[in-house]
Amino acid sequence: MNRRALRWLRGQLPELVAAGAISSENAAAIERHYGSVESQTNLGFVILATVGAALVGAGIILLIAHNWDELSRVTRTVIAFIPLLLAQGLVAFVLLRRNESRPWREAVAIFDVAAVATAISLISQTYQISGSFADFMKIWLLLSIPIVYLLRTTLGACAYAIGLIVWLFAREMGFMVRSPSPMFFWIAFLLIVPYFLLRYWKNRESRETTSLSIVFVVALTFAIGFTADFAKSDLGCVAFAGFFTAIYLAGIKFFPPKGERLHSVALMGGIGIGVTAIVLSFESSWHMGREFFWGARTLEANIAFALEFLFPIVAIALAARNVLQKRFQFSVAAALFPLITAVAMGIANICETSAGQYIYATNCSFAAAALLNCYALWLAVDILVRGIRANSVARANFGLLLIAALAISRFFDSELSFVTRGLAFIVVGAGFLVANILLFRKRSAVPA
Amino acid sequence: MKSLPILIFVLVALAQLGVPASMAWNRVQTLTHGRVWKFKTAPVDPEDAVRGRYVRLSYDVDRFIGNEKFQSGDSVYAVLKENADGFAEVDRLTNKKVGGDNSVKVQAWWLNDRENISFPFDQYWVTEQDAPAAEKAYAENSRRGQQNAFVTVRVHNGDAALEQLYINNQTLSDYLRAQAAKK
Repeated sequence: MNRRALRWLRGQLPELVAAGAISSENAAAIERHYGSVESQTNLGFVILATVGAALVGAGIILLIAHNWDELSRVTRTVIAFIPLLLAQGLVAFVLLRRNESRPWREAVAIFDVAAVATAISLISQTYQISGSFADFMKIWLLLSIPIVYLLRTTLGACAYAIGLIVWLFAREMGFMVRSPSPMFFWIAFLLIVPYFLLRYWKNRESRETTSLSIVFVVALTFAIGFTADFAKSDLGCVAFAGFFTAIYLAGIKFFPPKGERLHSVALMGGIGIGVTAIVLSFESSWHMGREFFWGARTLEANIAFALEFLFPIVAIALAARNVLQKRFQFSVAAALFPLITAVAMGIANICETSAGQYIYATNCSFAAAALLNCYALWLAVDILVRGIRANSVARANFGLLLIAALAISRFFDSELSFVTRGLAFIVVGAGFLVANILLFRKRSAVPA
Repeated sequence: MKSLPILIFVLVALAQLGVPASMAWNRVQTLTHGRVWKFKTAPVDPEDAVRGRYVRLSYDVDRFIGNEKFQSGDSVYAVLKENADGFAEVDRLTNKKVGGDNSVKVQAWWLNDRENISFPFDQYWVTEQDAPAAEKAYAENSRRGQQNAFVTVRVHNGDAALEQLYINNQTLSDYLRAQAAKK
């Protein structure tokens, strides 16, 4: 497609309408025709252009990492800024002349972000500036985030969220005494949320919005793990239960399912609930072996503690809102997950503790684990039944998979006696049979 | 309408240029005006030594017994003094900012009944080509009984800039060249 000709044609359309050569409907039809053709070529080009820019950027970084000793400090300093100035020139060009072209915006954004990293790396090498990789990531992310907004790049926003995950892991390196604070993640994450909202309001069904929300859920999952570890308050299970439930309920509320198919966000929440329930069904999850916070509790540790309650509260608020509006699109079993976890937590903490193999181990870990086992079974059967009702093989299978996982977990759970294991197996087996009977009855009732 | 994004972009571009430029500028200031301190390097564990294309440096003076206990996360300044051999030593640790050319901002944490200090110059960048030889030279000259390596650091207004790594009183590049010529 000759884009220059197209731009010329678009400019001509109003004149042609004004002159009476074509009707305004004709003009709109021409616009639509070329619009759709252009968006098709765009998608392929976006990917190619971005990959190209990323490769050029990576190549420059590799060349520079080679660290030319032959060059003087001044020369190397000048070289450090060349890719950055070039990239910034391109950004200015795109903002002024190609602001409507998505391939240009995405590619130039990646190039600029890579150039920032190059400049910082080369200056660090040239002037022997030490510093951790985590600190480098921090500066890089903060200098890159405005580009996401200026050039409206969703790939850039995804890369930013992935960069935050990398930072979470990088900051763990080199610390032995206590976990370093993950608070920067939450501040930096807040900076990208408005971009997501802009995408969401523009088109919540688009692939861009969906991919962005998937990356965000993954990033938040890591962040909650590290935050719970940092807070050292043994509330990780409640935080995770609340988080996945909130994602599940938010997925249903903000991305209304088309027909019986759940949106990816709700799906991720549902899978998260299932996996967390299986993990918490192990008795070892409930020993309540206290971890110590080294030194005095800091403000950051208290914020981390509060953050652990954020998602459980959001989950309860979303569920309450749905109940008040008498809308029950969601699985009640799934929505109750944070509450069940909190109850199990209470049971585990109310008992006397005994100093044994685990210092401060609770005597009630069995009761808490038993509650979670019953819950996981209920959840699995509920998913199965809902799957059958919706005639969704995938969901019914996920329910069966959870039941199977529960059974296998109990088999390998050496902390339970043979009698309890036997009983658990009978219960799980019975559940399996009932579910299968229901599935087949329903399937045979539906005319093929 | 178009001018607002352009204005924001100009600010962003200045920030993107400004951060590396100020890193370079601070170092140039410290390297030209700073006072020179020599830090004797300490033995390293061999497996700790290789971390990419830089030599990981460890110092003789990175343990200190003082009156106050500092936790990691506190900002701590190490006030330096010169010993009889001309090498830098930690005189005291303080959490008050000390200006001048004899204090460095460090990370400190209390472990094993003493303050452990991490200086902000623990990586010496070397070329990809020289990395293995540099690593070997540093490890061989930083053993117990054979501590022939030291670095010069320039300190200016609390900022510390690593200047050179010396092995056997030669700069690293001279030393490597001499070693290569011997073979």
